[in-house]
Formats: sequence, C-alpha cells, structure tokens
Amino acid sequence: MNKKASLADFMKAYGTMLAGALIVIVFGILSFDAFFTFGNFINITRQISLLVIIALGATLVMSVDEFDLSIGAMASLGGVTAAKMAVWGAPTILCFALPVMICFVIGLLNGFIVTKFRVLSFITSLAMGTVIGGFTFRFTGGATIFENIPKSFTYIGSGSLFSIPLLSIIMILLTVFFWFTMRHTAFGRKLYAIGGNEVASRVSGINVTLHKNLAFALCAALAALTGVLMASRLGSAHPTGGDGFFLQAYAAAFLGRTVFREGVPNIWGTFVGAAILGILANGLTIMQVPTFMQDLLTGCIIILAVVAQKIGHGDAK
Amino acid sequence: MLLETRKLCKQFGGVYALNDIDFEIREGEILGLVGENGAGKSTLIKILTGVYHKDSGEIFRDGVRVVIGNPGESRELGINVIHQDRNLIPAFNGIENVFLGLPYEKRACIGVDWTKMKRRVNDVMDELGITVNLSLPASHLTPPQKTMVEIIRAMMTRCKLLILDEPTASLTDRETEKLFALIAKLKEKGTSILYVTHRMDEIFRLTDRITVFKNGRSVDTVGTANVDKEQIISMMTDNWVSEKAKANKQFGAGRLQAEHIASADGVVKDAGFTVHSGEILGIFGLGGSGRTEMLECIYGQRPTAAGTVAIDGKTVTKSSPANSLKNGMALICEDRRGKALVTSLNVKQNIVLSTINHYARFGIVNENREVKDAKEKIDRLNIRTEGPKQPILQLSGGNQQKVVFAKALMSDPKVLLCDEPTQAVDVKTRQDIHKLLRQKADEGKAVVFVSSDLKEVLEVADNVLVMANGRTGKQFINEGLTSEQVLACCYAD
Repeated sequence: MNKKASLADFMKAYGTMLAGALIVIVFGILSFDAFFTFGNFINITRQISLLVIIALGATLVMSVDEFDLSIGAMASLGGVTAAKMAVWGAPTILCFALPVMICFVIGLLNGFIVTKFRVLSFITSLAMGTVIGGFTFRFTGGATIFENIPKSFTYIGSGSLFSIPLLSIIMILLTVFFWFTMRHTAFGRKLYAIGGNEVASRVSGINVTLHKNLAFALCAALAALTGVLMASRLGSAHPTGGDGFFLQAYAAAFLGRTVFREGVPNIWGTFVGAAILGILANGLTIMQVPTFMQDLLTGCIIILAVVAQKIGHGDAK
Repeated sequence: MLLETRKLCKQFGGVYALNDIDFEIREGEILGLVGENGAGKSTLIKILTGVYHKDSGEIFRDGVRVVIGNPGESRELGINVIHQDRNLIPAFNGIENVFLGLPYEKRACIGVDWTKMKRRVNDVMDELGITVNLSLPASHLTPPQKTMVEIIRAMMTRCKLLILDEPTASLTDRETEKLFALIAKLKEKGTSILYVTHRMDEIFRLTDRITVFKNGRSVDTVGTANVDKEQIISMMTDNWVSEKAKANKQFGAGRLQAEHIASADGVVKDAGFTVHSGEILGIFGLGGSGRTEMLECIYGQRPTAAGTVAIDGKTVTKSSPANSLKNGMALICEDRRGKALVTSLNVKQNIVLSTINHYARFGIVNENREVKDAKEKIDRLNIRTEGPKQPILQLSGGNQQKVVFAKALMSDPKVLLCDEPTQAVDVKTRQDIHKLLRQKADEGKAVVFVSSDLKEVLEVADNVLVMANGRTGKQFINEGLTSEQVLACCYAD
C-alpha cells in the first residue's frame, strides 16, 4: 500500500523528467553517432533557446492564472519591426530595444483590459493577437524582409562565445533571472499568490492590478524579444514568423507544471518542458522522421505527461 | 438499527483518521455527532457516502452487510449528505439542480418532460412545506435557499438517512429556525438524521442521542437528555477550562471611527461605530444585515458610496486593503478558503503574505528571516503544523484559521476586524482565538468582533452593537445583557 503510494508520488514529481530521460536514451540507442555528440548538444540548446524565452513569458502570465494568446503575434511583430529598423539603418541596440518596448506597452494594454473590465484574458489576448497580426501584415505588405539586413543585426543571433551560441547564453541568463525572480523576490511571491487566490491576495494588501499588468507586460516583452532574436538568427523576418511559437510555448509551460512536484507554473519546469520538446524535434529530425509524425509524437507526450501527474490522485485527497 | 458500523478503520499516511469505530444510527432518530476538528467526523461521513473507502471494518444497513463503493451506491442505500459548502451548480436552476444525478422524466418520443419534473419537485416541496423559487439559478439563491434545494434533492429519492454537516454555518437565527422546523418534519416522516456541528446548543435542541468522537475514536454515545454541555465538551477534549469574562471596562482613546458607511451596491445603507483602545466591540446581526459588507467597506475591499473612516483620529483618504494595512488595520475574512488563504502556498508564505515587502531588500526576499518570524508566530499561536513549509491545505480547519490570524498579526495592527473568526473551528481553537483577541485588546489594540453566533458575541465582547438591514442600531454595554434584548433589536423592524 505504502509502496504504491510512494511510486505514485515519485511519478508525480519526476514522471516528466523520466519521460525526458527516456526520450534521450531512445534517441541515443537509435542514432548514437549523430545524437550523442557535443556538437548536437550545443545545437539543441540553440534550437530551444527561442522557445524557452517565449515560454518564460507564458509562464509568468500563467502564474497569475491568466493567459496571453497574443504572444505568437507579438513575436512576429517584434521580428519584422526589428528587421525593418535594421534595414533602415537604425543602431542595433535600438533594433532590439524598441520592439521589446512596444510590446511591453501592448502587454500593459492587455493587462489593463483584463483587470479594468474583467474580461477573460483568453478572449482579450486572442483578439489582441488578431489585431497585431493584421497590423503586422499591413506594416510589411505581407512580404518577408530579408534584403539589406546589416551584419551587425545578425551578430547576436548567429554569433557565439567560446563556441557556445549567444542565443543559448541569453536563454540561460534569462531563465536564471526569472527563476530567481519567481523564487526569491517579493514580486515573484506576489505573482504566485495572485495566481493562487486573487481575492485573498487583494485582502492581504497586494496590488493585484499592478502585478497582473506587469506579468502581461513582461510576457509581451519576452515574446517580442523572441521575435527579434529569431530575425537576428535567420537574417530575415516574416510577418507570421513567430505565430507558431504560441502553441509550443504553452505546451512547454504546461509540461513544466508537471515537473518538480509543484503543480504550478514554474520557471525550471518550463525550461525542462521546452527542452523535452526541443530534444524530441531534434532527435526525430536526425532520424528523418516526417514532420507530421513529430507533431503526433509531441502531442502524445504532452498528454502522457499531464496524465501521469494525475495518476495516484485517487483516494487520498 | 438503520445503519451500523463495526470496527471501521481508515488511515491517511499511517495516521488513523478513524480507529475501530463502532457507530450506529437508529430508525427515525436524530443523532448528533460532535468532536473537535480532526476527530474523524468528516472521514466517517465520506466513508458512509462512498467518497472514501474504508481500510477495514464492516457496514450494516438494516442488519445486512453492505459495501459502499461510490456515492451512487450510497444514495441507493438511501443515504444523502448535505455539506457545509453547498454542492449546487451555480448556473442551473432549482429543478435542474434537484434532478442532478437523478434520471430525467422523458417524453414519449424524445426530449425531457420539464412539466412533469416540475410537478414532482413541487410535490416534494408541498410535502415538506418548503417554498423556494425553482426558476432562479442557484447562484441567485441565498445560503438557506440553497440548503433547501439540497434537502429537496435528497428527499426526491427514498432517503432513509440524511447527513447534515454544519448546516447552519452561514444561516441566521431565523433561517436556522426554518431549517429546524424542516428537520422536525423529516423526522416525523421517519427519516433518520445525522447532525454534525460544532454548535452545542443546536445539538442539545435537536438530537435524541449524541455520539462523541475524539482523535479518530468513538468516545461514547449518550442520550441527549442525560448529559449537559460541559459533560459533552469534557468528553470531546482533554483540556478544557471554561473561560470567565473579565471585568475590564476602562477603554482608551477611540482607535477606529467609521461614520455613515454606505456600500456602492446598497447592502450597507448607513453604518457607523467607534471602537476604542482596549475594547472588543461585538457586532451582531442576522444574515443579510450587512455585517460582512460593512467590514469590507471599512477595510477598502468593497466599493463605498459614502462614509468616512478614521484611524486614531486621522481620516483615511484612499481606501484600499493595502492602505488599510499600512494604516494599521487588518481584516480576518469570514470566507477562509475564498478570501483569506492562498491554498497553493505553504504555511510560512501565507503568514508573511501581507508583509512580504518587509522581508525583501531590493526586492529579494530574505527567507531565513521569514522562516524565523513565521516560526515565532506558529509557536505563539500554537499552530499545529509539521513546519513553516507544510502546504496550508494539510492543516486542520482550526489551524488554518490560526494561520489567517498569524498573517493579520504580522503587520501588528492597531485595529483588528474579525468577521466570524471562529466559524467551523474546534472548541479548543475557538478558546485560543477568544483569548488572543482579549490579549490584543489588553495590549491597547481595538478589536471588532463580528459573529452570527449571539452567545459567542456575549461571551467575548465588551460592548455589543446590533446591525440590521444595512444599518447599525443600538449599542449595548455587555453587562447582564441577554440574548432576548439583542434579538429584539434585530427583529424590531
């Protein structure tokens, strides 16, 4: 009886991690030479970096029990804005900063609508994403921006330091930063408190409106940064280039909720979630599995992880 | 014997929640079940209703051994439960709620025969003498109306045993009377009732026999006529000393002054009072009198239409919970799960929730200091917990409430607003909370104590203010005050 309970506990806490390890082992066996190389490992960190960054934002919004479905559209907007500015000859620092700031403001607007009028964030951000998508299309005329992008703009996306891609370094720095913020700062604690019980948080003197707004704004800023980094990496920007990140980001964040026993959105969990998705994509690509099979497997893994966490929830509580 | 258990056991994580319980309920009787929080009452109910499975032991219905595997099977045996937190679907109307889990009446070919269903519900209502507007969604019903709907639902089937779990927790006296009348009627019809409550007067008023649980064991079952309150309480607890009211009627300056408070939603029309340093002001009012709403207005949690609040003579300009805390006023909410605790956080994190900024330098929380202060409060309030990092939901109700108090005390408030602070806590915790409030008053704080339990108000308060229909009324000095005097004011208009 006890043993069974502890097994369930173990699965709840580490099931997702175990699944991740299993994936690595399977790929290792199936294609050891291509998969288990230092080069490929570094490659994976770069491949997941953009997903991790945008998923960090999704995690912040999820921690206050809201959703931002406009992150994909904001990544697209961020990417094309940065690319356009780069083509116009704006300083690189501005190409990075301005789109992030613009989306920060859009995020505040999202938060304002949600907190002021008490509209479901689900709907607000879905509509906002549509608006942004329309604007991005008008802004670019629907065309990919790729000509005359200066080298200085693509440096961050393609450069590396001691053979570690800059993108990977940025990803790690941001993950550590937001982990620290959520775990060790009053700000992070307040976000979690609001997500746990908004009314109780308000009664306890927490400025719920402000913190929700900030969560939306930070999420939007991270989405824009993802778009900018993607443009910098590819040396081009497409008006719908970031849209695909949106589902992946929430998949990673939901996978992340199942990691580390917490059952709440958490930063390292999201990182692990994104890593699992990334490793899966990487391994399947190496094994030349068609894309549709990749989607199929990814979806199944997410469902399995979420179900595995619920197993053992039966009688006790 | 309608229902009987023999040597019933249930463990959670190696700890006995129920240990060798021999329990029986007779046909047509009202059996009271009492015990402190954590005594095993809820566990027994959950086993009888098929929510939990017993580890060992046997259950007999009319002498026949039965197995209750799920709530459906329990219902088939004629067992129905009505919980503290009412289980209705807010968007469903009365009829839809009554028919939850029951087969719908079908028309000949297709579709649901709502007319026939309505008639069946009306028949039951007539039989019981209840009137509830069944076309309203449950979210529009008052707490007692919800209870009524649940009772109707229970009586739709052949209900032999009705379990009532703290049914009067959020009812006013008048509503309680209605419920009691209904209970009497059910008994007349031969339905057995298991009545679970912390309220002794109800136990003595209603029940035929009383079963006392302590620490997962059944202490004894006694005829209600043969015992008194003190005896029952001494059976429930190991150490219980009856508290005597202190004669300390010298108050200091006015700490909180509230004048002409009116809420934006019109529930509170014109309320005001002054509470002094060293004073416990009891506020009593029936349900719907606006007690909770008034406190929330004063605290800044609910929008106001009019009124002024002054703390230590200084008028509060921007009213919000954050400002109230800054000004030295804390609120213990009535709704513990809904408005006081963040259940996803642990004990420590809940305790420091409203003072988290004090523990942060440049935004970074000093966890050691946090744990130290939380531990101190845990010791001071005698909170039974494995430690500051235990998830809050693993604590018993009484200990959860102490955590709520710990949180409020962290900001060292000058004014403490308590809304039903002893609701659904065990006798011991109740005593602890009463003592704590008196101690705070003696330290020179001002305490506002709101309760729907008039006896408790008379037991605790120095002065008693009556509230009715959104207005504050007469204020009494709590000396030789009788409940009739206070109630007379409530029913005055």
